[in-house]
Amino acid sequence: MNHLQSSRRDVLYGLGASLGSVAFTAMMADELAASETPNDLQPRPQQIPARAKRCIFLMMEGGPSHIDTFDPKPKLEQLHLKEFNRSGKQKSAMESGKRYFVQSPFRFIKAGDCGADMAENWERLASVADELCFYRGCQVDSVNHPTAMYQMNCGNRFGGDPAMGAWVTYGLGSVNQDLPGFVVLPAVSYPQGGSANWSNGYLPAQFQGTALRPTGSPILDLNPPAGVSRSRQRLNLDLVAELNQRHAAKHPTHGDLSARMANYELAFRMQMQVPSVLDIADEDQKTLSLYGVNQKPTDQFGRKCLLARKLIENGVRFVQLYHGSWDSHDYIQRAHGSLVSAVDQPIAALISDLKARGLLESTLVVWCGEFGRSPDNGVRGGTAYGRDHNPNAMSIWMAGGGVKAGHTIGATDETGAEAVENVHHVRDLHVTLLRLLGLDDNKLTFYHAGRFKQLSQFGGKVIEELIA
Amino acid sequence: MKQLSIPSFIAPRVLLAFGGVQQLAITVVALLAGTVVTADERSDLHDSSSSSADIQPIGESESIFVRHIEPLLRTKCFGCHGADQDAIEGELDLRIKQSAFAGGESGETAIVPGHPERSPLYLVMTRTSDDWSAMPPKEAEAVSADKLSNVHRWIATGAVWPTTSRADEIKRVNAERWSAEDGITIATSGGLDDAWTNRRYKPELLWAYQPVEKPVIGPNAIQPIDWLIQQAMPPGLQHAGPADRRTFIRRASFDLTGLPPTPERTEAFVADQRDDDVVIAELVEQLLASKHYGERMAQHWLDVVRYADSSGLANDFHRGGAWRYRDYVIRSFNDDKPYNEFIVEQIAGDELDPDDPEMLIALGYLRMGPWELTGMEVAKVARQRFLDDVTNSVGETFLAHSLQCAKCHDHKFDPVPTRDYYSIQAVFQTTQLAERRAERLDCENTDGFDQQAYLKLRRAEYERLSQELDDALLANALAWYREQGLDDSHWKQIVQQLQQQGKTSVFNAARNQIKKGLAEDQYPPKLVGFTPQQFGLERVTRKGLQALAFEDDSFKPFALSVYGGHTPSVKSISSPFRIPVDLTNGELERGQILTGGDPFSPGQTVQPGVLSVLGSSLEAPIPDSISGRRLAFAQWIADENNPLTTRTIANRIWMWHFGNPIAGNPNNFGSTGKLPTHPKLLDYIAATLVENDWSIKSIHRLIMTSHAYRRSSIHPDPEQLEKLDPAGDRYAVFLPRRLTAEEIRDSMLAITGELNPAMGGVPCRPEINLEVALQPRQIMGTFAAAWQPNPLPKDRHRRSIYACRLRGLADPAHEVFNLPGPDFSSEKRDASNVTPQVFALFNSERSHHRALAFANRCIQETQDDAQAIARCFELAYGRLPSETETRLLLEHWQTVEQLLPEDAIAFKQQPTEILREAVEENTGEQFSFVETLHANRDFVADLQPTQVDRHTRAFADLCLAILNSNEFIYVY
Repeated sequence: MNHLQSSRRDVLYGLGASLGSVAFTAMMADELAASETPNDLQPRPQQIPARAKRCIFLMMEGGPSHIDTFDPKPKLEQLHLKEFNRSGKQKSAMESGKRYFVQSPFRFIKAGDCGADMAENWERLASVADELCFYRGCQVDSVNHPTAMYQMNCGNRFGGDPAMGAWVTYGLGSVNQDLPGFVVLPAVSYPQGGSANWSNGYLPAQFQGTALRPTGSPILDLNPPAGVSRSRQRLNLDLVAELNQRHAAKHPTHGDLSARMANYELAFRMQMQVPSVLDIADEDQKTLSLYGVNQKPTDQFGRKCLLARKLIENGVRFVQLYHGSWDSHDYIQRAHGSLVSAVDQPIAALISDLKARGLLESTLVVWCGEFGRSPDNGVRGGTAYGRDHNPNAMSIWMAGGGVKAGHTIGATDETGAEAVENVHHVRDLHVTLLRLLGLDDNKLTFYHAGRFKQLSQFGGKVIEELIA
Repeated sequence: MKQLSIPSFIAPRVLLAFGGVQQLAITVVALLAGTVVTADERSDLHDSSSSSADIQPIGESESIFVRHIEPLLRTKCFGCHGADQDAIEGELDLRIKQSAFAGGESGETAIVPGHPERSPLYLVMTRTSDDWSAMPPKEAEAVSADKLSNVHRWIATGAVWPTTSRADEIKRVNAERWSAEDGITIATSGGLDDAWTNRRYKPELLWAYQPVEKPVIGPNAIQPIDWLIQQAMPPGLQHAGPADRRTFIRRASFDLTGLPPTPERTEAFVADQRDDDVVIAELVEQLLASKHYGERMAQHWLDVVRYADSSGLANDFHRGGAWRYRDYVIRSFNDDKPYNEFIVEQIAGDELDPDDPEMLIALGYLRMGPWELTGMEVAKVARQRFLDDVTNSVGETFLAHSLQCAKCHDHKFDPVPTRDYYSIQAVFQTTQLAERRAERLDCENTDGFDQQAYLKLRRAEYERLSQELDDALLANALAWYREQGLDDSHWKQIVQQLQQQGKTSVFNAARNQIKKGLAEDQYPPKLVGFTPQQFGLERVTRKGLQALAFEDDSFKPFALSVYGGHTPSVKSISSPFRIPVDLTNGELERGQILTGGDPFSPGQTVQPGVLSVLGSSLEAPIPDSISGRRLAFAQWIADENNPLTTRTIANRIWMWHFGNPIAGNPNNFGSTGKLPTHPKLLDYIAATLVENDWSIKSIHRLIMTSHAYRRSSIHPDPEQLEKLDPAGDRYAVFLPRRLTAEEIRDSMLAITGELNPAMGGVPCRPEINLEVALQPRQIMGTFAAAWQPNPLPKDRHRRSIYACRLRGLADPAHEVFNLPGPDFSSEKRDASNVTPQVFALFNSERSHHRALAFANRCIQETQDDAQAIARCFELAYGRLPSETETRLLLEHWQTVEQLLPEDAIAFKQQPTEILREAVEENTGEQFSFVETLHANRDFVADLQPTQVDRHTRAFADLCLAILNSNEFIYVY
C-alpha cells in the first residue's frame, strides 16, 4: 500500500474491500473527479451527461434469428416452401442447392402495454417488455461468424481492435480498483474468434476484458499452486519487496520499478476479493430461483446474469455475457426453442432485479448477436429447416438508462431479408451505445499507428430514435 | 507509370527520383512554409495589380477565401456537408455559396458578413459556443487556432465568396507567392481529383522521401554515431559515464541473443585486463557469431511480419509449412544475408529461382496475414482480403508506410494516391496462395517428426467414429424407409455394392447415387435420424479430419508459399492447397482501382507499379506478365537509392538496441508518424548499411561500439537530465528495458539449466496454463483440439520462438507480457505493467516449476546454503550477493522451511482425456464427447516437489522471489 501514489486510490481500496457487494461503491465513486490521463482504471466523468453509467452486454453468439424471436413475418406463411434465390454480393458457397422460404415455427404475441412483438416462448421476457427498446434497423458487413463477431464487439471486421468494453473502461475508468473494469463471462467454450473478442487492441493493457471463467479458477493463476499457504505467500511477497527495495535504491530514477512493486500488492488483495464477489452463496433463495439458478435449463446462464448484477454492484464498469451458439442452420424450432428456454428467465430476472434495486436506471443492458438470419433455408427443403446468416437484418434490444423503453424502432422488409426503415450500419449502433453511456465516439479516440482511432472506425451518427 | 500533368504555375515542384534528380532547396521553402500566414493579406492587392493590368483589384476577403477558406471547407467540412449529395448533414451544403449562406436545418444563416461572432460557421469551429455544437465533430480534427483566425478575418472583412472563375484568377495571380509560403506540391501518379494532386505539403513532413544523404562526420570524431549524437545534445547536458562491464555484458547479451550471459562468461569479461574497446569489440563479435543471434533478430522480424503457425479466423487451421519460413528468417540473420537479398527473396523468391526450395520457403512472408476461405464466405471478398493484406504489409514492412490508408481514398496526409495503392496491389494480382512442394534442405532440423505419431492416433480415432456414424445412418435409413412406407430394395442394393467396394461414408455415397431423378421425399434426408449427440460428433470428426490435414503438412516437404497464375475458382479451402496443373484456369485478374475499396465496384484499370512519390529508378516498367511482377517490384524496394527502404531498416535496427527508434513510428514514416529525433544519424546508418553491402551485422558493430550504447543507465545529475532532456531522447543515458515475454521464459529456462538450445524444426509445444490448454475453443462448427505439450521435457523446453503460435490460442503468460497480437504488424513492443502479470509470474505453475528446477540446480552444484544462494544470484543477476543479502536469504530460507509441511504436493498432472460439452448448433441441445489427449499419455513431467527434500522446496520459494524481482526482469 505504501508504494501507491494516490491517496484517493487508497480510499477506494478501502471501500471496495469493506463494503462488499453494496451498490454504494458503484454510485459514489462514479461521481469522483476524473484523472487526466486515461491510462489507468481511475473513474472519469462522462463526456456528455447520460443516465447509464455501466453496461451489461448480452452477446448471443452465433446469430439469433430475428424472424423467430422479435420480428414476426406473417408473409412467410404465404411463401412457405416457395423457392428463393439469393443474389448479389452475398452470394457464396452457402447458396448451393435449392433454397426455400420458410415460415417461423414460433407463434408470436404482443407483450406488455407497448405491445412488443415476441415469439411466445419468451414467456418471462414478455413480463418486462415495457422496459425494452427493440431495434430492427441494424446492418453489418460480414456473413462469417468471427469477422461479424469482431465487428459487433470491436467495430472492425478484422480482429485486433479494442472491444467496446475496453473503450468504455478507457473512457470512464472503473469504480473498484481491486477488480478489472471490463469483465467477460464467456460460455464454457470460447466463441469463434476467441479472446480477441474482448481484446484491448491498441489501448493500454489495463482495459483488456478479463474473462471470468465459468469453471476452474475465475482469473488465470489467481491463486498459487495447491499447497502454497497464504502465510507462505505473504512471506514470499515480502521477500520480493525486500529484493526490489534494495534494487530500487541503486536505480532511484527508474520509475517503472515502484509501479511494478505496487502491482504485487494489488494482486495479493485481488486474490482475496475476487472469490467473494463471485460467490453467490450469500444470495437468498428467492433471488436464486428468480434467476433460475440450480434449475434446468436456466442454471448456467442464470448464474451468469446474477453474477453480472453482483459485478456491477461492486463497481465493474462493463460486463459482457456470452451465450450460444445461436447458429441454427437446421431444426430451428428445437435449436432456438432450447436456447430461448435457457436464457429467457435469467434475462427477465436480470432486468427486474436491476429495476427492483434501483440499478436499471443507471445501467445499460444490450441484447444482440453478430447478425440476423435469412428468411430461407437450403438444406432440407422444409422438413427440418433452419436459417442461414444474414448481415442485412437483425433484432437488437436495449434496456435501462436512457433508452426509449417500450418502443420498437426500425423495420425489416416483409420477409425479414433486409432492414428497410431506420437503417443504420453497426457503427451507428456503437456510437449510440457510447452516447447512452455518456461517451462521444468522436472524442473517445486513441492515437495509434499514425491515426486517431475510434470504436466506430471512421465516425458515425447517433441513432436518436433509440434514446429517450 | 503515368505522371499526371501538374499545372505549371505551381512551384516549386519537387520531383524525387532515386539517384537522379537533385534535391531541391526544400530547407529554404520550409522556413517560409512553416510559418502561419495570418498577416495582412492586403498586400496581395498590390502584388496582383502589378502582375496583371487586366485583372480587377483583388480584395482581402476574397483572397483569404481562395487561399484559406475554400481549402479548409474542403478538407474539414465537405465530407458531411456536400461531397455526398444523398447524405448531407443538417441540410447544410457548404460547397455552394448560396446554400452556405442560407444555412442548414436550423434556419439560421451560417455566415453573417462582417460579424464572425454571430456567424455559426465560425462559432462551431471555436468549439466553445453554447448554442452550436463543435465542428468538425472529432476532437482530433479540430480547426487549428491559425486557421480559425483566418475564418474570423474572412468574415470580418465581409465574407466575400468569389465565383469559380474569379477564384481561379486569384489563384493564378498569386500562385508563385503562395506556393512559396504555403508549402510545396509533390509529384505522384495523381489523385482521384485535382485538388488532391495539387495539394501542398509542409516540406519537413516529406523528410522520408528525400534521398539519403550520408552526413559528413567531424574530422576529430572518434566514432561517427557518438559524434552525431553529440551534435544534437542540448548544450550543457552532460552524458552518463560508461556502464560497468557487468551491466554491459548483460545488456549486450540480451540485445543480441535474448538470453543472459553465463556467470563464467560474465566473470571472464569483468576480469579481462585489456581496454574496454578491445574486450567489448570481442564480446560483440562473439555474440554476433552465436546461433542465438539469429533467433533474437528473427523474433523482431516475425513481430513485424505477424508470424503465426495458424491461419486465424473461423477455422484457425494450422499452417504446416510456416515453421520453415521462421527458420529461413533465423538462418538469414545468422548468415548475415545482405538485407537487399533478404527483401527480394521474401517477395519474389520463386521468380529468382523456382528450383531452389529456400526461395519458395522465403515466400512465406507473403502468406503471414490471417486468411482463410470458408464455404460461408464470398470467394472474391476473401481474395480481396489477401490482396489488401499483402499490399499494406509490404508498405509497412519495407517502406514504413501504412498503405491501407489509400485503399478507399487518396491518402489524407501523405503523398500516396489511391492509384498507387492499386498499382502496388496489381503487382500481387497474379500471386496465388499454395502450399508448394519444397524439398528439405540439409540445414533444416527434422528432429521431432516422430510427434506425427500422435496425429495418426487422432486420425484413427476420427475414422473409427466416422465409421460408427455411418453405420448409424445406414440403420436409420432403413428405419426411415419403413416409416415412410417406401420400398427399400434399391437402397439396400446400392448400399451393398458400395460396401463390397470397401467404400467409407457409405450412407452419403448411396444417398448421392439414389437421389438422381427422385423427388426429395423419395430418398432419406441428410444425416437421417441423428440425435443431437450424433449431429455433434459428425461435425467433430469431419472438421477434425480437415484440421489434421493441415497439421500433417508440418511434417511434409511443403512450404507455405505462393505461385504466379490465374486466380483459381475455388469456393472453399478445407485442405492444404497445392499448385494446380493448369495455372491459367480461372480469372486473370486485372489491376483496377476499386471504388471505396469494394471488390464489386471496379473503376479505372491500373498497371503494376510502385510508390510514385519516389519517382522510379526502374529501367523498365514493372511487367504485366503473370511472372516477373514481384521480382521487379522487390528490386525497386531493394534498390540502394530507395530512401524509405534503407531508412526503415536502419530505424528498426537502432530500436532493437536502444528500445526507442530514431523515427518514432517504425511502420509509418508518413506525416502522421513521429519525426526522426536524429535525422542525420538515421541517414548515416542507412547509408552505411548500403556501403557495407547491406550487412546488418556491420550495423550492430557500429552501434554497439559507440559510447552512446555503452552508457550507464544511471545519470550523474538526474535533475539536469530531466530539465535539459525532458523527452528523454538525447541518449545522454541508457534507458533500461523490461524483458519481453519470450526473454522471460527463455532466460528462466537458461538459468535453471533446462533450456534445450536446439535450433529450428517443427513447432514445439511448451506447457501453458493448463486451464487454457484445455479450454474449449470454438472453430467453425466444432472445437479446436486441446493444447498438448510435448511429452518430453527436452522437446518442450525449446526457445519461445519455436513454440507453436496459434492465432486463436496465445500462451496467456506471454500475452500478458505484451506479446503482440498476430493479426497486425507490431512496429514496437509495449512493456506495460499490469496486475495479471503478477498472477502469471508469481502464481503460475510454470514459474513454480522453474523455481523448483532452479533451486535444485543451485543446490546440486554447490556445497552449502550460502553457496547455493550465491549461485542463484550469479545465474539470475550476473553478480554475487552481498553479505547482507546472503544473511537475509538464509533467514528467509529457514522461516519458509519451518512453514512447509513434510509432505509435498505434486503439481497438476496433464490429463489423458477431456470431456467436451457444448450446445449442438443444429438442435440447440447439449452434446458431449471425449477428446483423447494421446500425447499426454506419454507425458514426462518436470521435476516435482515430491521428488526433492523440504530444504530444496523451501529454497524454491526464494528462487521464485528472485525470478519475480525487478533486477531479473529489467535490463540496464
